[in-house]
Amino acid sequence: MLRHAAERIALALPVLLGVVLVGFLLMQVVPTDPAIVRAGPNATIDIVEAIRRDLGLDQPLHVQFGLYMWRLVQGDLGVSIINNVPVSQELGATIGPTLELMFAALIWSIPLGIGMGTLSAYLRGSWLDRLIMAISVGGVSVPVFFVGLLLIWFVGFQWQWLPFTGRQGPLWTLQGLRGVALPAITLGGVFIGPVARMTRTAVLEVLSADHVRTARAKGLTETAVVLHHALRNALIPVVTLIGLQIGFLLGGAVVTETVFSWPGVGRLAVGAITSSDFPMAQGTIIVLSGGFIIVNLIVDLLYGVLDPRVRGA
Amino acid sequence: MRRLLTALCLVAASLPAAAQTPRNTAVLMREIDADRYDPVRSTARSAGEVIYMMSDTLVSMDWDMQTIRPGLAERWEVSPDGKTYTFHLRGDVTFCDGRPMVADDVVYTIKRWIDPATRSPVAWRAGKVRDIRATDAHTVVYELEEPFSELLAQLTLFFASVVDRNSVERLGANFGVQGFNGTGPYCWESWTPRQDLVLTRHPNYRWGPPIFENRGPAQIERVIWRVIPEATARLAALQTGAADATQYIPNVALDQLRRVPSVTVTTQPNYLWDFYMAFKIDKPFVNDATARRAMAMAINKPALVRAVWFGHAQPAVNIVNPVALDYDAASDALVPGFDPPGAMKLLDEAGWVMGSDGVRVKDGVRASFLTYGINTLENERQSEIMQQALRRIGVEMRIQFFDATVAWGRMATQEFGAVFLSYPYFSAGDALNLYFPSTQRPSPNRMNWNDPQTDAWLAEARSATDPAVRASALANVQRRLAENNVWITTAREQLFVGASNRVTGARAHGLYGVGLYKALDLRVVR
Amino acid sequence: MSAALSARPSVLRLVFRDVAAAAAASFLLLVVLAALFAPWLAPVDPYETDLMSVMTPPGGDYILGTDGQGRDMLSRLLFGLRMTLLMGVAALVVGGVIGVSIGLIAAHWRRLDGVLMRLMDVMLSFPAILFGLALAAIFGPGLVAVVIALSVATVPLMARIARSTALVVMAQDYIEAARATGMGSFRLIRRHLAPNCVAPLLVFATLRLGQVILLGSALSFLGLGAQAPTAELGAMAAQGRTFLFFAPHIAVIPSLAIFGIVLACNVLGDALRDALDPKLRP
Repeated sequence: MLRHAAERIALALPVLLGVVLVGFLLMQVVPTDPAIVRAGPNATIDIVEAIRRDLGLDQPLHVQFGLYMWRLVQGDLGVSIINNVPVSQELGATIGPTLELMFAALIWSIPLGIGMGTLSAYLRGSWLDRLIMAISVGGVSVPVFFVGLLLIWFVGFQWQWLPFTGRQGPLWTLQGLRGVALPAITLGGVFIGPVARMTRTAVLEVLSADHVRTARAKGLTETAVVLHHALRNALIPVVTLIGLQIGFLLGGAVVTETVFSWPGVGRLAVGAITSSDFPMAQGTIIVLSGGFIIVNLIVDLLYGVLDPRVRGA
Repeated sequence: MRRLLTALCLVAASLPAAAQTPRNTAVLMREIDADRYDPVRSTARSAGEVIYMMSDTLVSMDWDMQTIRPGLAERWEVSPDGKTYTFHLRGDVTFCDGRPMVADDVVYTIKRWIDPATRSPVAWRAGKVRDIRATDAHTVVYELEEPFSELLAQLTLFFASVVDRNSVERLGANFGVQGFNGTGPYCWESWTPRQDLVLTRHPNYRWGPPIFENRGPAQIERVIWRVIPEATARLAALQTGAADATQYIPNVALDQLRRVPSVTVTTQPNYLWDFYMAFKIDKPFVNDATARRAMAMAINKPALVRAVWFGHAQPAVNIVNPVALDYDAASDALVPGFDPPGAMKLLDEAGWVMGSDGVRVKDGVRASFLTYGINTLENERQSEIMQQALRRIGVEMRIQFFDATVAWGRMATQEFGAVFLSYPYFSAGDALNLYFPSTQRPSPNRMNWNDPQTDAWLAEARSATDPAVRASALANVQRRLAENNVWITTAREQLFVGASNRVTGARAHGLYGVGLYKALDLRVVR
Repeated sequence: MSAALSARPSVLRLVFRDVAAAAAASFLLLVVLAALFAPWLAPVDPYETDLMSVMTPPGGDYILGTDGQGRDMLSRLLFGLRMTLLMGVAALVVGGVIGVSIGLIAAHWRRLDGVLMRLMDVMLSFPAILFGLALAAIFGPGLVAVVIALSVATVPLMARIARSTALVVMAQDYIEAARATGMGSFRLIRRHLAPNCVAPLLVFATLRLGQVILLGSALSFLGLGAQAPTAELGAMAAQGRTFLFFAPHIAVIPSLAIFGIVLACNVLGDALRDALDPKLRP
């Protein structure tokens, strides 16, 4: 078990380092000189040079990378070239809302997706199975922004049931709950499809396994077989697969945040990229990637805890 | 899934809608944030609209956009030679931190503004200052090298907002980023960039401009300036009462919004905010005056403006708006009308031969240019329409737009052949002095317009003490620019301020494009 | 009950599968034809602006209405399909060629296998949207950045499939025979390994095309892909977003088109996969 964990962490670390390196190189290859951008339109050469020295841009590349790493370890991701606000401060303010949105999206879509997938596997071949699978295929095919726009149009604008103008407050307040509803339905809605499909496949696989066949042979009803044996055993791969779908969720979140003006990291990233705010873009990409790697690691370790076969290895 | 979706919506909708904006707080919406809120370092309207609420100027502007009213100065005198202004300040003014404001603060503010080290892009608006001094605690003497006919109007702009020296020195480069200390009806509380800027009422405020019924303190405890980039989201927020007022209403929505009973829309007839495309007149192809004239003829401005602004803006002719002071009607006649065949003929005669790819060529130069601009909805739409119109006469216009935050830097370069911009002004002199003196190159004179005759006329107008002399000098400039087709001025925008029925007193003002000015009459009624 | 259930559905399922797959295939064929012949099919120039008819709803002179700049939506849709499909196919081809090469190399030269596949795992663990964001940050928003990002995200998937298929082929006797006759590595790969990978790769490519288009249009929607006035479905939807409440067709038409294409790709891909090999899963 410990060996498994150590191995996984040892694998994740170089990937993290790679992300940081990519982030650093990103700043090197951008066509715009950060010093010139920082100096503003009316700056003289002297001012640009002074800023370049301040930023350490006159040092050799490896020294710059060292400086960069040292700052990064201290939580210093630089300063936005647009409004001089520390990148870490903006990230700190936007991570919360992003996690909030993801939580609100997953809390209803995962149980529903698993339920739909199990039902589909249990009634495999029936019209309900077909319907659920059709909905799932539709779910993985529909553009996230389309779902968001339709919800805004009908629920937000025509019927005026729910706000769609961004975060209204913390999740535990009524206002916050109303604010997160439409984004969470959008993001969760596109997540149901993959979860249902994965669950169905996993449950079907387990149903054909030996011990389930034994259980059936013992005369247990199909419902009991599905609920007691298949689903429980299927949950392990499902949990892992859901973990692997975090990337999918992340992509959906970036779009959802933009469509609903949700003040999260994804919207911050898109804004920073379109406005060429390189330190901010780099910071958001490092945080999104780092978060993704860490979640993957956790899922991996969890898998080890859940599945005795991995534990033994 | 759909049933669940409906159910979820129903549950959420049945929750009481009471959890709205807290009592006595107003939410004002805007499209973009400013990079900072230091009066001398930003020329953005998004900075101005907040700075006007957080600070005051020596004098203020009336609703007519021409009459100067008292501000921090209760009265003032101008010497007969027009070079010395004496301002008598009110005695009861305090900053947000409670410190009384005195003449030295005004002197410090103006000197900071015009100090070359500050690098304020708008220092010229203060006139050619010889000296500014405080003769006693409440008297400021403002002495100029030469008369400046527009000084008082310029001093109503937010760049001249009086700031607290201690805060400026304490915060350094972070003044207007981490904090602010002014004498305005509202005080800085917090700023989350690209989201919310929160202001709280200045309790001792009594010195509002006389154009407001309420001269202070403000009637609302908290004002939240909220950035909502999506126009549709702003509209819905206004209609549902999630936010209280905004001037950033998409033109397409105006007619519909006016029919919504819970929303009031006010407008301001004396509003000057124009859209234009300016040529950098020393760049290939656009340096050809005939080509510029042909391009002006290729564009059907009335149709363009109707399509892009949905009938809520006026098509422009020459640079200056007819309602502006010193507008010259004769120069409008010099701007060619819509005439594509004429444009084709003009280009043919000038030797621009149609190439096989549909783009004209002359002496190896392609009839092609790059335009820069800010990626606003109006710019994107009008530029794409103009691009198509120019393509029809064999001219290729390449478009590259930027987010507002970086666009200004890019537009200060020499990389482009034309630029799409829009701007506020209050008179012909203000507009022309901003853009066309050779000393204003490369920015804001992005045209690289370098004409000694223009410079001479502008100088004559600036220092004129006789209004007729000034008007005639400025008329000369307008005609010269019209003959050269330096700009294609497209639209004259109008100001509309929409307010929910939660508030009253949101009257459209429009100084420097700012809709609510000091918002002293704004009141939360439910 | 279970007996009854499993007897009936197998027929039902086949019919349903076939009908759905056939419909998806015909739809895709139609879309590809429309995209190919867009210049001849489009009633007008997709960039031509009619200032007298801005944002006209579908049904009048303009069958699908006009957009915010008075451009014909039908023409833009046709050219948008072209651009979007081109983006997807380009990403598939670039990512496919690189990925398949890596997969075949890993399968043939077993010493490289560990390193290459570990590298693919790392790449695979990375969400495509992050590649998209990073590349847009480096190169600036544009279609090129999007195509590169989508290609990069496709490489590890293609590599895995090529490798696993090739390994199965390598275990066959005739490969041993070919080797014994002294056939060179490259020739072996070209003659025996590569052709055997074509079928599974095609199936996967169908599924992947949908995903790539979905991702690419999302990036364009965010303003990181195709730039105005380019007719590209994601960018068109983004432009229509502003007028959602006034002229919904501007956003809805391109969005529906994306939905339709991706759905067809998924349905067809699923059916092909089931037909070819139920075990094949990327």
